[in-house]
Amino acid sequence: MPNVRVTINGVEAAVPANITVLEAAKFAGIEIPTLCDHPAIEPIGACRICLVEIEKQRTLQPACTFPVFEGMVAHTRSEKVVEARRFVLDLLFSERNHFCMFCQMSESCTLQDLAYEYELDHWKFNRPMPKFSVDASREYFVMDHNRCILCRRCIRVCDELVGNGTLGLKNRGADSMVTADMDVPFGESSCISCGTCLQVCPTGSLADRASAYMGATAQIDRVKTRCMACPVGCGTELIVRENRVIRVEGDWDAEPNKGLLCEIGRFVPLHEKRNRVRQPMVRTDGDWTEVEMEEALGLMNEKMREAGDDVATIVSGFVTVEEGKALAQSPGAKYLMHPIASEQSTAKQADLDEADLFVVVNTDMTEDYQVAGFAIKRGVRQRGARLLLINDAADGEAADGEAADGEAADGLGDWAMRRFGPEDANQAVSIARGAQMPVIVAGPDGAKLATELADQIPDAKVLIYTPGGNSRGLYEVGFQEAFEGQEAAVYHVVAGEISRISPELLEQLRQGGTVIVTTSYREPWDEVADLIVPMPTTFEKSGTTVNADGMVGQVVVGVITRAVPTNEIFNSLAELAQ
Amino acid sequence: MTFEPVLLRRTSLPRSDSIDVYLANDGYAALARALRDYAPGELIGLVKASKLRGRGGAGFPAGLKWGFMPQSDGPKYLCVNTDEGEPGTFKDRELVEKDPHQIIEGAIIAAYAVGAERAFVYIRGEFFQGIKSWIKAIADAYARGFLGQNILGSGYDLEMSVHRGAGAYICGEETAMISSLEGRRGEPRLKPPYPAEKGYWGQPTLVHNVETLANIPHIVNHGAEWFASIGTEKSTGPKIFCVSGHVYRRGVYEFPLGISLRELLYEHAGGVPGGKAIKAVIPGGASTPPLTADQLDITLDFESLEGAGSALGTGAIIVLDEDTCMVDVARRSARFFAHESCGRCTPCRVGTQRAVDVLEAIEAGRGVPEDLDRLEALCHGISGNTFCPMGDAVVSAIGGTLVRFRDEFEEHISQGGCAAPA
Ligand SMILES: Cc1cc2nc3c(=O)[nH]c(=O)nc-3n(C[C@H](O)[C@H](O)[C@H](O)COP(=O)(O)O)c2cc1C
Ligand code: SF4
Ligand code: SF4
Ligand code: SF4
Ligand code: FES
Repeated sequence: MPNVRVTINGVEAAVPANITVLEAAKFAGIEIPTLCDHPAIEPIGACRICLVEIEKQRTLQPACTFPVFEGMVAHTRSEKVVEARRFVLDLLFSERNHFCMFCQMSESCTLQDLAYEYELDHWKFNRPMPKFSVDASREYFVMDHNRCILCRRCIRVCDELVGNGTLGLKNRGADSMVTADMDVPFGESSCISCGTCLQVCPTGSLADRASAYMGATAQIDRVKTRCMACPVGCGTELIVRENRVIRVEGDWDAEPNKGLLCEIGRFVPLHEKRNRVRQPMVRTDGDWTEVEMEEALGLMNEKMREAGDDVATIVSGFVTVEEGKALAQSPGAKYLMHPIASEQSTAKQADLDEADLFVVVNTDMTEDYQVAGFAIKRGVRQRGARLLLINDAADGEAADGEAADGEAADGLGDWAMRRFGPEDANQAVSIARGAQMPVIVAGPDGAKLATELADQIPDAKVLIYTPGGNSRGLYEVGFQEAFEGQEAAVYHVVAGEISRISPELLEQLRQGGTVIVTTSYREPWDEVADLIVPMPTTFEKSGTTVNADGMVGQVVVGVITRAVPTNEIFNSLAELAQ
Repeated sequence: MTFEPVLLRRTSLPRSDSIDVYLANDGYAALARALRDYAPGELIGLVKASKLRGRGGAGFPAGLKWGFMPQSDGPKYLCVNTDEGEPGTFKDRELVEKDPHQIIEGAIIAAYAVGAERAFVYIRGEFFQGIKSWIKAIADAYARGFLGQNILGSGYDLEMSVHRGAGAYICGEETAMISSLEGRRGEPRLKPPYPAEKGYWGQPTLVHNVETLANIPHIVNHGAEWFASIGTEKSTGPKIFCVSGHVYRRGVYEFPLGISLRELLYEHAGGVPGGKAIKAVIPGGASTPPLTADQLDITLDFESLEGAGSALGTGAIIVLDEDTCMVDVARRSARFFAHESCGRCTPCRVGTQRAVDVLEAIEAGRGVPEDLDRLEALCHGISGNTFCPMGDAVVSAIGGTLVRFRDEFEEHISQGGCAAPA
């Protein structure tokens, strides 16, 4: 892209020719306020707070949509501009209820910040203050229509980024109202609680239940870290106040999620209802007794020695590479709690945003690896990428695209062009051959087939997702087998925060052997364990993870605890074992 | 002035809406000629030479717009704007109900000239009769081979269909109309790109008002020179004026552009009932600023009205006699625009609401002197700062009235309400 020369507030800059005045100003280090615009979505020029003066233009122009041109001279803080912005703010404050002192987002609100910046010290126009509903039907956050400025960020992220299209506007003009689906309560809508709308709302209209009133911008720290709940491996930002995580946001700068998260990454950790394990606990005659770490370590060592090599160490995806390395030195067999595949990804997750054809093999991307699923939906909805589904549920039918009962479970079903059973995979190959950039996505059971298909489709790349945030990293440090009921005298389960546990595993642990569980939460392990050892949560530890495409992510401490880091415990265990 | 009507020539004939009456009165002769004698580019040249300007309100030169349509092979579309929502305007309705084939013929010629393969008629939902009329006329035109495949053996194909709007004024704005046609929320889109570049589903689209298209067959039949000889130098051709308000004979009148307002009102429309004086005339629909009584000798064409600080708009002339309360006029306009704002941009969505608040207060006798500053601040703040031209329409209507009749507003405030006879 050739550059053009522009002058903004007297600062000269050479900027790419295809950008907006807003982006050019950023180049020149000049900030222009925005309300409706957000860097992650398409500009719509609606709120008019970003109006700037551009020489030779008859009227002020919105910086967020106006393209730069050679020789452009712009003024972003001229008297005219300030007057227009103040007018827009005066109007926005007159439209609904903005009594900041009663608002949970006060001091964390872009609208309020602008009011201070532009010195709105009185009401210029009358404020009829119509009363609108507060929709609290959603589990994690509340929509207060009384604070909404109709910037539509929420609607646009739901459509453009998440590919969910739940939100929209009803009515016209001043009666416009953000709504879900065909005007149902948000909690009953197709909303998947990913919280992206919440993250981008510039006012107190969308407010998080967990962090409302808990900390304003000036009182919080932001810690960039990684989610360990699934192999997509999203970058997160922990919003921390006084050593407590009050909210989790998606990190806009992080691959592969670019700001997005799913319900599991954003909300579940903060709404955890299980009991934390802070102290090692031993079960004696059915009762739990707290013991010191040293004693617990001794017990673990003793049990493992007694068992000789007949120990099974079973790790969940919440175990970091460092924890895994330490554990790898302990005696006995090493297992992953989840299914694993030996096949490796050859694509990057970023390729999902370029692909013109997706073949999804034996996984429900909208359920298991949601943020990657968003990218597939975006591709289908926005770029017209084709989607082929291959799964066992589609066995023996569906060459004609008819949905079988089993497939209702696949959240991408509605988007697919065709569905096949695995034995008809050759049909997928023939469709996929014409694609410029085919990406084959598979769960653990589909990995083998996916890799075979990739050999037959020119330029095809594969992405293999196996459950667990760090299963790929743990595989690399020696956990290469999935636990499938192998017997042992001592089971050491390293669980972390995992909550979805297979009933078969629990049943086997209940049956016999000595069960040691290293875990952040008591439940459900207290039913089956003989010894429970505390483990920090993802918020409390540091380490590395490897996601589905092999990218190494850093887990960073957000909350400081007195607990001993798990890798130290495991190292001591290994030393004792020598 | 006596003038042999061009556009309304057939509307007084019995069953003027039928294809047989149309055919018996030169109907579709222009189409045959256009397809036989003209290459598309020549038709564009012809319309340019006629200096025909759009009749939908903005007055953009039609030939120029045709020329903006790319010559590429991809799909191109024509949209026939029958949304006619501008208060005071009822000319398109007359044409659609009484002489739909004249519009269809113009539309086919326009579509052929720009290479469009499909034409959409967008009609406001309240025009029940117009919708029926369109549907019947299109079906008849298909049946006689004027629409569909290989029109009149020329090898040119054109499909045409009718789309009903749901009663939003903003859907008359061309990009909002296109959004609505696509099944989206009826809201304007960013311009540029203009519809001629990226319109319906991103393809080049020509949008025209009904009356603009109705002129096309006549230009083809009688030539650009004949057309340009009607009207003034820069405002050529016949124009349908919709006269309403305080006059004896309200209705549609066709005259050359450039007719004097006084002549139209007093000689043709019969003057003001009760011999009352005129206080103001809104010359081009609710979005144009009113003229005052001393401006009645103005000629009705694009340039004179612009020169007088108003606009020809749609040619909807609303006459207000000496008893009219101008605050009430402004209040009604404000209410209209507040109700019709699409809600996308802050200055229009909220600004019109605040203007209604202020005007209602003044009208009800609750006004304070600062309210006039507020009204001015609103007009100033909305003007030029909205996403689409509707904001400027609001300012023309409210600000235009305030500027010209400020004393009436002040009187309302100082006397605690309206002194005009109820
Ligand atoms: C708020 C608004 C409403 C409009 N409504 C109409 C309408 O009802 N009918 C119409 O023909 N043009 C309307 N227009 C003008 C159209 O945008 C467009 O300019 C016109 O249809 C072009 O046709 P023309 O070139 O033949 O005049 C409206 C414009 C605005 C800004
Ligand atoms: S949304 Fe913002 S501006 Fe409105 S009341 Fe809350 S803090 Fe104040
Ligand atoms: S809820 Fe928030 S993001 Fe959505 S339109 Fe309202 S103010 Fe904007
Ligand atoms: S000015 Fe703004 S709110 Fe008004 S109609 Fe145009 S886009 Fe909609
Ligand atoms: S940020 Fe540019 S118009 Fe809203």
